[in-house]
Amino acid sequence: MKTTLQSELSENLSAEKSFETINAMISIAKNKLADDGFLFIFWGWLVCFSSLFHYVFIKLNFKGGEYVWALMPLGGIFSMVYAIKQNKKDTVKTYVDDYLKYLWIAFGISLIIVLISMSENGIKNTYFFLMVLYGFATMVSGGILNFRPLIIGSILAFACALASNYFGTSEQLLWISLSLICSYIIPGHMLRNQHKSEINA
Amino acid sequence: MLKELDPILHSQLRLAVVSILVGVKQAEFSYLKEKTNSTAGNISVQLQKLKEANYIEIEKSFKDNYPQTVCKITKTGVKAFEAYVEAIQNYLKPKKK
Repeated sequence: MKTTLQSELSENLSAEKSFETINAMISIAKNKLADDGFLFIFWGWLVCFSSLFHYVFIKLNFKGGEYVWALMPLGGIFSMVYAIKQNKKDTVKTYVDDYLKYLWIAFGISLIIVLISMSENGIKNTYFFLMVLYGFATMVSGGILNFRPLIIGSILAFACALASNYFGTSEQLLWISLSLICSYIIPGHMLRNQHKSEINA
Repeated sequence: MLKELDPILHSQLRLAVVSILVGVKQAEFSYLKEKTNSTAGNISVQLQKLKEANYIEIEKSFKDNYPQTVCKITKTGVKAFEAYVEAIQNYLKPKKK
Protein backbone atom coordinates (compact mmCIF):
# COMPACT_ATOMS: atom_id res chain seq x y z
CA MET A 1 0.00 0.00 0.00
CA LYS A 2 1.39 3.40 -0.88
CA THR A 3 0.64 6.63 0.88
CA THR A 4 0.93 10.14 -0.45
CA LEU A 5 4.11 12.01 0.25
CA GLN A 6 2.31 14.79 2.02
CA SER A 7 0.58 12.55 4.55
CA GLU A 8 3.78 10.56 5.18
CA LEU A 9 5.87 13.68 5.59
CA SER A 10 3.50 15.08 8.11
CA GLU A 11 4.29 12.05 10.27
CA ASN A 12 7.63 11.24 11.85
CA LEU A 13 10.02 11.60 8.90
CA SER A 14 10.17 14.94 7.13
CA ALA A 15 11.48 15.44 3.58
CA GLU A 16 14.43 17.39 4.96
CA LYS A 17 15.21 14.63 7.44
CA SER A 18 14.98 12.01 4.67
CA PHE A 19 17.38 13.97 2.53
CA GLU A 20 19.72 14.48 5.46
CA THR A 21 19.73 10.74 6.15
CA ILE A 22 20.44 9.88 2.52
CA ASN A 23 23.30 12.39 2.27
CA ALA A 24 24.85 11.35 5.57
CA MET A 25 24.76 7.65 4.78
CA ILE A 26 26.01 7.98 1.21
CA SER A 27 28.96 10.10 2.35
CA ILE A 28 29.98 7.42 4.88
CA ALA A 29 30.93 4.95 2.17
CA LYS A 30 32.11 7.61 -0.29
CA ASN A 31 34.66 9.01 2.13
CA LYS A 32 36.20 5.67 2.95
CA LEU A 33 39.72 5.74 1.52
CA ALA A 34 40.03 2.27 0.07
CA ASP A 35 43.81 2.02 0.25
CA ASP A 36 45.91 2.34 3.41
CA GLY A 37 49.11 2.87 1.38
CA PHE A 38 50.94 0.04 3.13
CA LEU A 39 51.67 -2.01 0.00
CA PHE A 40 52.88 1.07 -1.88
CA ILE A 41 55.36 1.75 0.92
CA PHE A 42 56.36 -1.92 1.26
CA TRP A 43 57.00 -2.45 -2.47
CA GLY A 44 58.49 1.00 -2.90
CA TRP A 45 61.16 0.40 -0.29
CA LEU A 46 61.73 -3.26 -1.20
CA VAL A 47 62.34 -2.62 -4.91
CA CYS A 48 64.19 0.66 -4.27
CA PHE A 49 66.54 -1.09 -1.84
CA SER A 50 67.03 -4.04 -4.22
CA SER A 51 67.83 -1.76 -7.16
CA LEU A 52 70.36 0.23 -5.16
CA PHE A 53 71.89 -2.95 -3.71
CA HIS A 54 72.27 -4.41 -7.21
CA TYR A 55 73.73 -1.14 -8.52
CA VAL A 56 76.32 -0.94 -5.72
CA PHE A 57 77.35 -4.57 -6.32
CA ILE A 58 77.85 -3.87 -10.04
CA LYS A 59 79.88 -0.72 -9.38
CA LEU A 60 82.07 -2.46 -6.81
CA ASN A 61 82.53 -5.44 -9.15
CA PHE A 62 81.02 -7.79 -6.59
CA LYS A 63 79.33 -10.90 -7.88
CA GLY A 64 75.83 -12.07 -7.05
CA GLY A 65 74.09 -8.68 -6.72
CA GLU A 66 71.25 -9.98 -8.86
CA TYR A 67 70.31 -12.49 -6.17
CA VAL A 68 68.69 -9.63 -4.25
CA TRP A 69 65.76 -9.96 -6.69
CA ALA A 70 64.98 -13.31 -5.07
CA LEU A 71 63.26 -11.18 -2.42
CA MET A 72 60.51 -10.32 -4.91
CA PRO A 73 58.60 -13.64 -4.83
CA LEU A 74 58.78 -13.49 -1.02
CA GLY A 75 57.38 -9.96 -1.19
CA GLY A 76 54.64 -11.24 -3.48
CA ILE A 77 53.64 -13.95 -1.00
CA PHE A 78 53.70 -11.45 1.87
CA SER A 79 51.53 -9.00 -0.13
CA MET A 80 48.98 -11.68 -0.90
CA VAL A 81 48.74 -12.72 2.74
CA TYR A 82 48.42 -9.06 3.78
CA ALA A 83 45.71 -8.37 1.18
CA ILE A 84 43.71 -11.47 2.18
CA LYS A 85 43.92 -10.50 5.88
CA GLN A 86 42.83 -6.93 5.13
CA ASN A 87 39.99 -8.23 3.00
CA LYS A 88 38.78 -10.42 5.85
CA LYS A 89 38.93 -7.49 8.26
CA ASP A 90 36.82 -5.21 6.06
CA THR A 91 33.16 -5.18 7.01
CA VAL A 92 32.21 -3.27 3.87
CA LYS A 93 33.28 -3.73 0.26
CA THR A 94 33.04 -0.85 -2.14
CA TYR A 95 33.25 -0.91 -5.93
CA VAL A 96 36.51 1.01 -5.57
CA ASP A 97 37.93 -2.00 -3.67
CA ASP A 98 36.99 -4.16 -6.65
CA TYR A 99 38.52 -1.83 -9.24
CA LEU A 100 41.76 -1.69 -7.27
CA LYS A 101 41.84 -5.45 -6.84
CA TYR A 102 41.62 -6.05 -10.59
CA LEU A 103 44.09 -3.26 -11.34
CA TRP A 104 46.75 -4.82 -9.09
CA ILE A 105 46.06 -8.35 -10.33
CA ALA A 106 46.52 -7.10 -13.92
CA PHE A 107 49.66 -5.22 -12.85
CA GLY A 108 51.08 -8.34 -11.14
CA ILE A 109 50.43 -10.52 -14.20
CA SER A 110 51.99 -7.89 -16.51
CA LEU A 111 55.02 -7.68 -14.25
CA ILE A 112 55.50 -11.45 -14.25
CA ILE A 113 55.17 -11.56 -18.06
CA VAL A 114 57.76 -8.78 -18.46
CA LEU A 115 60.15 -10.51 -16.04
CA ILE A 116 59.90 -13.98 -17.54
CA SER A 117 60.43 -12.47 -20.99
CA MET A 118 63.62 -10.75 -19.85
CA SER A 119 65.90 -13.12 -21.76
CA GLU A 120 64.04 -12.32 -25.00
CA ASN A 121 63.73 -8.57 -24.52
CA GLY A 122 67.02 -7.84 -22.80
CA ILE A 123 67.69 -6.18 -19.45
CA LYS A 124 67.43 -2.61 -20.75
CA ASN A 125 63.96 -3.07 -22.22
CA THR A 126 62.82 -4.96 -19.14
CA TYR A 127 63.88 -2.17 -16.77
CA PHE A 128 62.16 0.33 -19.05
CA PHE A 129 58.90 -1.67 -19.07
CA LEU A 130 59.02 -2.02 -15.28
CA MET A 131 59.03 1.76 -14.85
CA VAL A 132 56.25 2.18 -17.42
CA LEU A 133 54.19 -0.38 -15.50
CA TYR A 134 54.82 1.40 -12.18
CA GLY A 135 53.64 4.64 -13.75
CA PHE A 136 50.61 3.00 -15.35
CA ALA A 137 49.35 1.26 -12.19
CA THR A 138 50.03 4.29 -10.01
CA MET A 139 48.18 6.65 -12.34
CA VAL A 140 45.11 4.40 -12.53
CA SER A 141 45.01 3.84 -8.77
CA GLY A 142 45.50 7.58 -8.21
CA GLY A 143 42.52 8.24 -10.47
CA ILE A 144 40.34 5.60 -8.78
CA LEU A 145 41.22 6.89 -5.32
CA ASN A 146 41.09 10.51 -6.47
CA PHE A 147 44.50 10.98 -4.85
CA ARG A 148 46.60 13.56 -6.68
CA PRO A 149 50.06 12.64 -5.25
CA LEU A 150 49.78 9.20 -6.91
CA ILE A 151 48.94 10.80 -10.25
CA ILE A 152 51.88 13.22 -9.99
CA GLY A 153 54.12 10.32 -8.92
CA SER A 154 53.03 8.29 -11.92
CA ILE A 155 53.94 11.11 -14.32
CA LEU A 156 57.39 11.24 -12.72
CA ALA A 157 57.71 7.45 -13.10
CA PHE A 158 56.93 7.79 -16.82
CA ALA A 159 59.55 10.55 -17.06
CA CYS A 160 62.09 8.26 -15.31
CA ALA A 161 61.31 5.49 -17.80
CA LEU A 162 61.92 7.85 -20.73
CA ALA A 163 65.08 9.33 -19.25
CA SER A 164 66.51 5.88 -18.51
CA ASN A 165 66.63 5.14 -22.24
CA TYR A 166 69.67 7.41 -22.45
CA PHE A 167 71.66 5.53 -19.81
CA GLY A 168 73.28 2.14 -19.45
CA THR A 169 71.59 -0.84 -17.77
CA SER A 170 73.34 -0.35 -14.42
CA GLU A 171 72.31 3.33 -14.28
CA GLN A 172 68.77 2.26 -15.12
CA LEU A 173 68.71 0.69 -11.67
CA LEU A 174 69.09 4.19 -10.23
CA TRP A 175 66.22 5.40 -12.41
CA ILE A 176 64.08 2.52 -11.10
CA SER A 177 64.86 3.60 -7.53
CA LEU A 178 64.00 7.20 -8.33
CA SER A 179 60.76 6.20 -10.09
CA LEU A 180 59.72 4.22 -7.01
CA ILE A 181 60.54 7.07 -4.63
CA CYS A 182 58.30 9.33 -6.76
CA SER A 183 55.45 6.95 -7.53
CA TYR A 184 55.30 4.57 -4.55
CA ILE A 185 57.23 5.74 -1.50
CA ILE A 186 56.29 9.42 -1.22
CA PRO A 187 52.62 9.05 -2.33
CA GLY A 188 52.36 5.83 -0.30
CA HIS A 189 53.37 7.63 2.91
CA MET A 190 50.98 10.48 2.10
CA LEU A 191 48.18 7.99 1.44
CA ARG A 192 48.91 6.21 4.72
CA ASN A 193 48.85 9.49 6.66
CA GLN A 194 45.52 10.48 5.10
CA HIS A 195 44.08 7.03 5.74
CA LYS A 196 45.14 7.19 9.39
CA SER A 197 43.71 10.66 9.87
CA GLU A 198 40.38 9.53 8.34
CA ILE A 199 40.22 6.55 10.69
CA ASN A 200 40.98 8.74 13.71
CA ALA A 201 38.53 11.45 12.61
CA MET B 1 0.65 16.60 -8.09
CA LEU B 2 2.75 14.84 -5.50
CA LYS B 3 4.14 11.40 -6.28
CA GLU B 4 3.33 8.47 -4.08
CA LEU B 5 5.93 7.57 -1.56
CA ASP B 6 7.32 4.09 -0.96
CA PRO B 7 6.45 3.15 2.63
CA ILE B 8 9.25 0.57 2.75
CA LEU B 9 11.86 3.30 2.31
CA HIS B 10 10.06 5.99 4.25
CA SER B 11 11.46 4.87 7.57
CA GLN B 12 14.65 6.42 8.84
CA LEU B 13 16.53 3.22 9.58
CA ARG B 14 15.52 1.39 6.39
CA LEU B 15 16.32 4.51 4.35
CA ALA B 16 19.71 4.77 6.05
CA VAL B 17 20.52 1.11 5.29
CA VAL B 18 19.51 1.42 1.64
CA SER B 19 21.43 4.72 1.30
CA ILE B 20 24.58 2.95 2.49
CA LEU B 21 24.07 -0.14 0.35
CA VAL B 22 23.39 1.87 -2.81
CA GLY B 23 26.96 3.19 -2.70
CA VAL B 24 28.83 -0.01 -1.87
CA LYS B 25 29.14 -3.51 -3.27
CA GLN B 26 28.19 -5.19 -0.01
CA ALA B 27 28.21 -4.50 3.72
CA GLU B 28 28.25 -6.69 6.78
CA PHE B 29 25.55 -6.53 9.42
CA SER B 30 28.04 -5.16 11.96
CA TYR B 31 28.99 -2.30 9.60
CA LEU B 32 25.35 -1.33 8.99
CA LYS B 33 24.62 -1.51 12.71
CA GLU B 34 27.59 0.72 13.55
CA LYS B 35 26.99 3.31 10.82
CA THR B 36 23.27 3.63 11.47
CA ASN B 37 23.86 3.69 15.21
CA SER B 38 21.05 1.23 15.83
CA THR B 39 20.51 -1.86 17.95
CA ALA B 40 20.99 -5.38 16.60
CA GLY B 41 17.34 -6.24 17.18
CA ASN B 42 15.98 -3.18 15.43
CA ILE B 43 18.23 -3.44 12.41
CA SER B 44 17.50 -7.17 12.05
CA VAL B 45 13.77 -6.44 11.78
CA GLN B 46 14.33 -3.65 9.24
CA LEU B 47 16.70 -5.77 7.13
CA GLN B 48 14.11 -8.50 7.05
CA LYS B 49 11.47 -6.04 5.81
CA LEU B 50 13.82 -4.83 3.07
CA LYS B 51 14.54 -8.42 2.10
CA GLU B 52 10.83 -9.27 1.93
CA ALA B 53 10.35 -6.30 -0.41
CA ASN B 54 13.21 -7.72 -2.54
CA TYR B 55 15.19 -4.50 -2.04
CA ILE B 56 18.18 -6.26 -0.56
CA GLU B 57 19.79 -9.70 -0.55
CA ILE B 58 21.04 -11.20 2.68
CA GLU B 59 23.73 -13.87 2.68
CA LYS B 60 24.56 -15.73 5.86
CA SER B 61 27.87 -17.53 6.26
CA PHE B 62 30.70 -18.05 8.74
CA LYS B 63 33.86 -15.98 9.08
CA ASP B 64 36.53 -17.26 11.48
CA ASN B 65 33.92 -19.49 13.12
CA TYR B 66 31.59 -16.54 13.74
CA PRO B 67 28.29 -16.09 11.91
CA GLN B 68 28.49 -13.40 9.25
CA THR B 69 25.59 -11.61 7.58
CA VAL B 70 26.31 -9.76 4.36
CA CYS B 71 23.78 -7.44 2.71
CA LYS B 72 23.66 -6.26 -0.91
CA ILE B 73 21.19 -4.00 -2.64
CA THR B 74 19.19 -5.53 -5.54
CA LYS B 75 18.21 -3.89 -8.84
CA THR B 76 14.67 -3.51 -7.48
CA GLY B 77 16.15 -1.79 -4.43
CA VAL B 78 18.18 0.62 -6.55
CA LYS B 79 15.11 1.53 -8.64
CA ALA B 80 12.99 2.03 -5.53
CA PHE B 81 15.68 4.21 -3.99
CA GLU B 82 15.99 6.35 -7.13
CA ALA B 83 12.22 6.79 -7.26
CA TYR B 84 12.16 7.73 -3.56
CA VAL B 85 14.94 10.31 -4.02
CA GLU B 86 13.12 11.80 -7.00
CA ALA B 87 9.90 12.08 -5.00
CA ILE B 88 11.70 13.79 -2.12
CA GLN B 89 13.52 16.14 -4.52
CA ASN B 90 10.23 17.16 -6.10
CA TYR B 91 8.79 17.86 -2.71
CA LEU B 92 11.78 19.99 -1.70
CA LYS B 93 11.77 22.01 -4.93
CA PRO B 94 10.49 25.55 -4.38
CA LYS B 95 6.87 25.75 -5.54
CA LYS B 96 6.13 27.96 -8.58
CA LYS B 97 3.62 30.67 -7.89
